[in-house]
Amino acid sequence: MEAIRKVLEKYDNEYVEDYKPTWLKAKFTNPNDLLSIVQDLQAEGIKTCSTVSPTDFIDENKIEVNYFLEDIINKKNVWLKFDIPRELEACKIPSITPLMPSANWHELEAYSTFGVKFEGHPNLRYFLISADYYGKFPFRKDFDWKAHEQNLIQNIDEITSEWLDEYEENEKTLPKDGSKTILHWGPTHPASGPIRLKVGVDGENIQWVDPDIGYVWRALEHLVERKDFIGSIVAVERICFMDNPNPMICYSQAVEEIAGKEITRFAKLMRVVLGEIGRIASHLISMGGFFGNAGLHTFVMWTMDVREYFLDALEEYSGARIATACIEPGGVRYPLRDGWLDIVQKAIEKYESSKDEFFDIFINNPLMKTRAVANAIISKEDVVQNYMAGPIARASGVKVDVRIDEPYAGYDEIEFDYVTCENGDIYDRLHIFFKELDQSMDIIKQAIAKIQEGIASGEMNPQKDHLVRIPKKLPAGEAVTRIEWARGEILMHLVTQEKATNPYRLKIKAPSVNHTMVLDELLRGKTLSDIPLVYGSMHICQGDLDR
Amino acid sequence: MLVDIIKKMIRVSKSMTEDRLATKDASKDFVHKSEIFRGKHEILYDVCTGCDACNKICPVDAIVMKPLPLKRPNKIPEVNLAICIFCGLCEDVCPTKPKALKLSGGTFDMRAGGAHEAQDNFWVRVDVPQDWIEKKKEEERKKAEAAAKKKAEMAAKKKAEAEAKAKAEAEAKAKEEASKEAPTKEDNNG
Repeated sequence: MEAIRKVLEKYDNEYVEDYKPTWLKAKFTNPNDLLSIVQDLQAEGIKTCSTVSPTDFIDENKIEVNYFLEDIINKKNVWLKFDIPRELEACKIPSITPLMPSANWHELEAYSTFGVKFEGHPNLRYFLISADYYGKFPFRKDFDWKAHEQNLIQNIDEITSEWLDEYEENEKTLPKDGSKTILHWGPTHPASGPIRLKVGVDGENIQWVDPDIGYVWRALEHLVERKDFIGSIVAVERICFMDNPNPMICYSQAVEEIAGKEITRFAKLMRVVLGEIGRIASHLISMGGFFGNAGLHTFVMWTMDVREYFLDALEEYSGARIATACIEPGGVRYPLRDGWLDIVQKAIEKYESSKDEFFDIFINNPLMKTRAVANAIISKEDVVQNYMAGPIARASGVKVDVRIDEPYAGYDEIEFDYVTCENGDIYDRLHIFFKELDQSMDIIKQAIAKIQEGIASGEMNPQKDHLVRIPKKLPAGEAVTRIEWARGEILMHLVTQEKATNPYRLKIKAPSVNHTMVLDELLRGKTLSDIPLVYGSMHICQGDLDR
Repeated sequence: MLVDIIKKMIRVSKSMTEDRLATKDASKDFVHKSEIFRGKHEILYDVCTGCDACNKICPVDAIVMKPLPLKRPNKIPEVNLAICIFCGLCEDVCPTKPKALKLSGGTFDMRAGGAHEAQDNFWVRVDVPQDWIEKKKEEERKKAEAAAKKKAEMAAKKKAEAEAKAKAEAEAKAKEEASKEAPTKEDNNG
């Protein structure tokens, strides 16, 4: 950490300070230093860009660009800040994509939503928004949403014609003879979900893949700004329906950090239990979905059956199965009712009774193995370079887990270790989920035992300890929190202003962005029949890809 | 190998005799239902204070406040179920006891009565009975009268007090002046 501090202090800065045990936070005065800072940091081992997050300070007429860079092997992270002018012509900063490929799509996203030009980016284009998006840069504070909506309604025909133009363009550029063509995999493909992969093929050999995303872009980061601190949880939880409680934990932690409140031990342990239930529900759907993508729908039914028991537990706790809204700033939303822990126990038993069959019939399936083993391998270097997160990284043998690296909620009280596979092929990326389920069951059991102990000894009051009041108005500040989501790390950057009743800016970094980014690399040279398998093995969710 | 096959055959034949979950009609009979299931809202018009807190916190603006010709509650929430996301925040902020607006424990049965029906049916409306309003109005009128009477009484009392005070002060002043004057006379005499 000291070496990194020395590197940062070499450049003109306003401050370099410690932030949490694993972070260094620094603000620099000259944006042109960025590239040399990043180069020096790379020599110190910080090789991964988690995300790029601009914040629009309209009153001070500046845009602050935040870089979150990580050393995922040695767990040292750096948070860099640069001020750049707000005017569109002068709103420029050098691109770090040539140095850190993991920043690629994050820079495109920042460009599309804030209009920050990244000079030197290999392919700077409009990303989530279309090229003819009315009134550019929707996350700027002076963006007129009403005028945009009106324009959308009036000019809907012209907007859809863009898509037809693309077809015509393809007709012209593709050679008339030969077997080259462009295929669209999705958004109506049964395995794709709302994403379109433009696949350039020669016969059935894939030459390139260009994912077209943004089909379910709901501007969640903006929606949060319109709601108050408590109401924001319903926007945050809609990142993805598969693992529901975890994003709310991340957001709530950020609010608690700014408010300076500590939640009770009971609430922390409840967050562990609810978070793991969410993870299990997501993992079951991911495992089933993998086979569903490959065309075998039996396993989806089996995993869904088990998942229902865990959803029962969520429903019994919060009153809803999918969109639970069960965690809010200050703790967990509902008191613990009698008998709830037994329902969780029942769900765990249900899984454990069907686990062996899952393994025998599906995870050990010889037909699947012939297609999956040693196919589309992600090496450790790829993980670091492209920032594969969570289970995808652990399948390649990289020891990453925010629950252990930067313990949050009650995870510091619980004993568990990194779960890893070695090869990083498609099979491992499926197998790791199966292994992690066991780990999650174990974590829940430990947490439940601790809660029961606490209640028995009178330390915890399950009726009253669940919530600590958070003031309605928060002071000015910013916080960065990370959690281990079912499919990787979520990082949230929350900015508030003095006496604020709603968030000023919330950046959500979700893992699927990087997982979709590498599809091109993984699929080149493979055949069309590999797409569902590779795509399924990355466990991509369009909800958190687009946000 | 053979043993394996026989094992699997036994397992399959066993599963044929097992009870099926799908013997229940899930539209009428729940496989699972939570006591606090967040369903259709119940609004108690006689408890509501019209404080507007549910309307303010609603993250999707599903709540519309219907005005009432009363002082309290001067408005009452109505929920558009087509917009509502059933997050339950409105119930959390409701300050009354028992809650005037409640979803938990509500029913899942929210059908609008067929696609041909207008969207307008998909609302939780509150039927406030006219006679209740009249009664409440009467109560409020009486209360207002009583308050006015009390106010008038208070004002009269205050006035009287003030007058008495002024009188007493004037008297005291006069007395003081008199006592001031008296010694001078005595001096003169002396």
